[in-house]
Amino acid sequence: MKLSRILQLPVLLASTLLAPVHHVAAEHTSNWAVLVGTSRFWFNYRHLANVLSMYRTVKRLGIPDSQIILMLPDDMACNPRNAFPGTVYSNSDRAVDLYGDNIEVDYRGYEVTVENFIRLLTDRVGDEMPRSKRLLTDDRSNILVYMTGHGGNEFLKFQDAEEIGAFDLADAFEQMWEKRRYHEILFMIDTCQANTMYSKLYSPNIIATGSSELDQSSYSHHADNDVGVAVIDRYTYYNLEFLESEVRDLSSKKTVGDLFDSYTFEKIHSHAGVRYDLFPGGADVARNRLLTDFFGNIQNIEVDGAKNSTVDDEMLALSRTIARLRVLADQEALESKNATTSANTETRPKKKIQLTKSLTDDNWWSKKVVGATTLAGCVALWTLGSYLEGSRK
Amino acid sequence: MSSSLTARGLTDRSTTSEFEAKTTSNNAEGNGDNGITNAAMVTTAQPNGLGPGSTTAKLKSPPPEQQSHIVRRSLIAASFWLLVLCLGIPIWWKTTTIYRANLPLNQMMNWADGKSCSPVFPIRIVIEAPSLTEQEAQSLISITQNALDAMHDFPGHRLRLEAASQTSLGGIIAPHDHENNALIIRLTPGDIATFEPASSPHAHLPIFEITYPPNSKPTPEAKSSQLATYIAAQLRSTFAEEQAILSYFLATSTISSDQQPQGSHNRIDESLSKRMTRSMKYSGTYHLTFSLFTSGSNPSSWDIDSAINQYLRPVLDMLKPIHNFTIDTQVQLYAVPGVQSQVLTKEDLSSFINAAEWPLSPSIGGAPTINFVVYMGNQTIDLYSGEETSQSWLVPQWGSVYLLSPPAATHVPSEFLKQPVLTFASHLLSLLGTPQSGSLPMRLSTLTRVRSVDMLLRASSSLGSLARLSLALPSISIPPSVADGVAKSIHHLELACSNLGSTKSLEHARIAETEAERAFFEKSMVGQLYFPDEHKVAVYLPLLGPVGVPLFTSLVTEFKAWKTRKL
Repeated sequence: MKLSRILQLPVLLASTLLAPVHHVAAEHTSNWAVLVGTSRFWFNYRHLANVLSMYRTVKRLGIPDSQIILMLPDDMACNPRNAFPGTVYSNSDRAVDLYGDNIEVDYRGYEVTVENFIRLLTDRVGDEMPRSKRLLTDDRSNILVYMTGHGGNEFLKFQDAEEIGAFDLADAFEQMWEKRRYHEILFMIDTCQANTMYSKLYSPNIIATGSSELDQSSYSHHADNDVGVAVIDRYTYYNLEFLESEVRDLSSKKTVGDLFDSYTFEKIHSHAGVRYDLFPGGADVARNRLLTDFFGNIQNIEVDGAKNSTVDDEMLALSRTIARLRVLADQEALESKNATTSANTETRPKKKIQLTKSLTDDNWWSKKVVGATTLAGCVALWTLGSYLEGSRK
Repeated sequence: MSSSLTARGLTDRSTTSEFEAKTTSNNAEGNGDNGITNAAMVTTAQPNGLGPGSTTAKLKSPPPEQQSHIVRRSLIAASFWLLVLCLGIPIWWKTTTIYRANLPLNQMMNWADGKSCSPVFPIRIVIEAPSLTEQEAQSLISITQNALDAMHDFPGHRLRLEAASQTSLGGIIAPHDHENNALIIRLTPGDIATFEPASSPHAHLPIFEITYPPNSKPTPEAKSSQLATYIAAQLRSTFAEEQAILSYFLATSTISSDQQPQGSHNRIDESLSKRMTRSMKYSGTYHLTFSLFTSGSNPSSWDIDSAINQYLRPVLDMLKPIHNFTIDTQVQLYAVPGVQSQVLTKEDLSSFINAAEWPLSPSIGGAPTINFVVYMGNQTIDLYSGEETSQSWLVPQWGSVYLLSPPAATHVPSEFLKQPVLTFASHLLSLLGTPQSGSLPMRLSTLTRVRSVDMLLRASSSLGSLARLSLALPSISIPPSVADGVAKSIHHLELACSNLGSTKSLEHARIAETEAERAFFEKSMVGQLYFPDEHKVAVYLPLLGPVGVPLFTSLVTEFKAWKTRKL
């Protein structure tokens, strides 16, 4: 009885200490970010700078590298045309080197494909894929999906060869929802005609925003004359400006609505769009979501009380006994099993010659037959040919 | 372009090139037929010799056609059509259909809706009463059972009382004899001085010892007895938490509310849902990472190995039938926490982990990681709530952190780590979702049951997701391995469901869950390729145009000629 009382203590403590603080039951427990640049080549420097500055922001707000999936299709830092080797800047003042010395690119170069992106979202990957390259989210994860590149009406170009359609993206999100792989998603896209990309989404709990309407281009903000190319896009630039100035740390109470209200045509030079209708509760609820719910990593920690609930010596002894008892029971079971089985099967050491074994056994014989037939056919052809040649002479 | 579409294009191209080859050869032969349209040339191509001869007869009307020519021409047209219909279309069809294995959709949906397995848990409780006669024991059991049934607050959970079999009476019972029994109640008569029944849980077996005053022994005629009421109340309070957890799982699962047992909704309280949110997703294996972060260069080594063996290993061994654990440790010097202030508030604590710089995700193996961090620094926690707190905190679904003030020596001995490791052990238990009340063996057996239900519900919901997905995306291919996995999963689900409440159930539910996950996340099922109809037209038109126009014009001309001949 004493033991059980001690064990009940944390329940009481937890309920008295923590219950009033956490009133929202359906909270998220982890934050993930999927940051995707989709274009190659030096003149698309700004797209990679966009992605890297987003990466810096979410990292600054506490999302660990293991929960950020960063897709960079090209390596601007090591591009031979880069006047500042090893660095990437998103501003002509070159104050912050985005590349830094602590960056973890998960998918790079030609790994950034539509297929890999869809596989990432739906987690349809092989066993060989390391955990760091997978989106291991669950129904308690908030995900920030940021994409940038060259796009058009309902598509976004990947690399120079392929494109992802708005339908594909919508289906991928639906598969995630179906498997309960997210709690809420903030989808941001900075590309020409970006708003068409989220127009086909149909899964719930998604807030979507894009840089420009149908038939509108998304413009770059400014160029760095020494780097020689534009370094950042307008939409991303003003997003970052807001995040840097208003969301300084995790205690910020700025909401998603505040960020969206900061978009103006004068700043972005295109009509940024927002989509709330997928969110249960619509615009009101969606706008009140904190920015740190998506860009930061909020951990609802639980501090232990002073008289705390540690496992004490008594309990350790107890668990030792339980483990020992179980081992004993297992041994007994094993012995009794052995006694019954050893009686009828005499242990005779069998000599077995280990033969080489092919790795895949299926259709071994049919493959052999096909091979033999092909060989025989070749021989027959050769004989026929030489016979015909001989007869012509 | 898509692989399937390319395949489609290729097949068509091969048939096309065949046609084109024939068309050009016909053209070469019928080179002089200027008045005839290009399409007609294909069908009216003349055999060798006739073509060149007709070049001179420009102004004359053509000579009447021979019957044999007409027949031959229609045969040629028919043979092209035959080729297209019998060879071209089947090959195109065969090569472009998406393989979709047959899935038992109805069965899958039934599982997902909770129609296949009603989550009712018969929990067997054995009453050992060596001092009672069999008749007395029977009447006690029936009265207690009646009392329990009268409570019936959670019908998904049926406590079933049984008398112990005669053989095991009195003797010491090995634990594996009672794998299917959730609890054993051992009744012993007290001395004259005991006025009311008292109970105590057994230390390391799921046994409840109840001593009762001798006069409360039930008589066969009695409708109620003090002892029976007492036992019923005890049982109810013992299983209250398990019931609450189970009803939480049912409420959060995909099972629609009308399939759920009645009255399971109102019982979910705040603290329980919080506890459930905190616990990790079930996995057969967890990876435990023990990290020592120090603010300076000191201390640089720790005796974590012996500390774990001494203070954590027993708990891990105890959990072995439910989970496996792998362990790694690390020491990081000059680690800067995310918050620098001397006194840490609750907000500070939540961003204390410097996720950007601390190497906390080792990505070792495929198991989810639970982090245990010891930070050597001089910071203190103050929540400003008047409550005194310890130096540790738990991060839901992640792990826990313990603040230690650095010792003078460079080496941390294992005694110094006792408190942190013991704290970690208790945090581990709560991260694994172990119930918090009851004796330890009871908590473990409850954990087994609760986890098997969790697995069962998750596997069912995966199956449902897969079924809905295969209906929603008709263009996704379903390889045979998926159907295989689904069949296995359903088989094990059935086994788990029929053994519900026993230890085998967890094993089956675990396999079912793995198979269902594998089926859902089948690698080749990538719904990557959505093609709008205009894309398909754009791909097919260049192929079908050159092939289709001659085919159809030949058909039309042949038909017209046949009609004129008939008139």
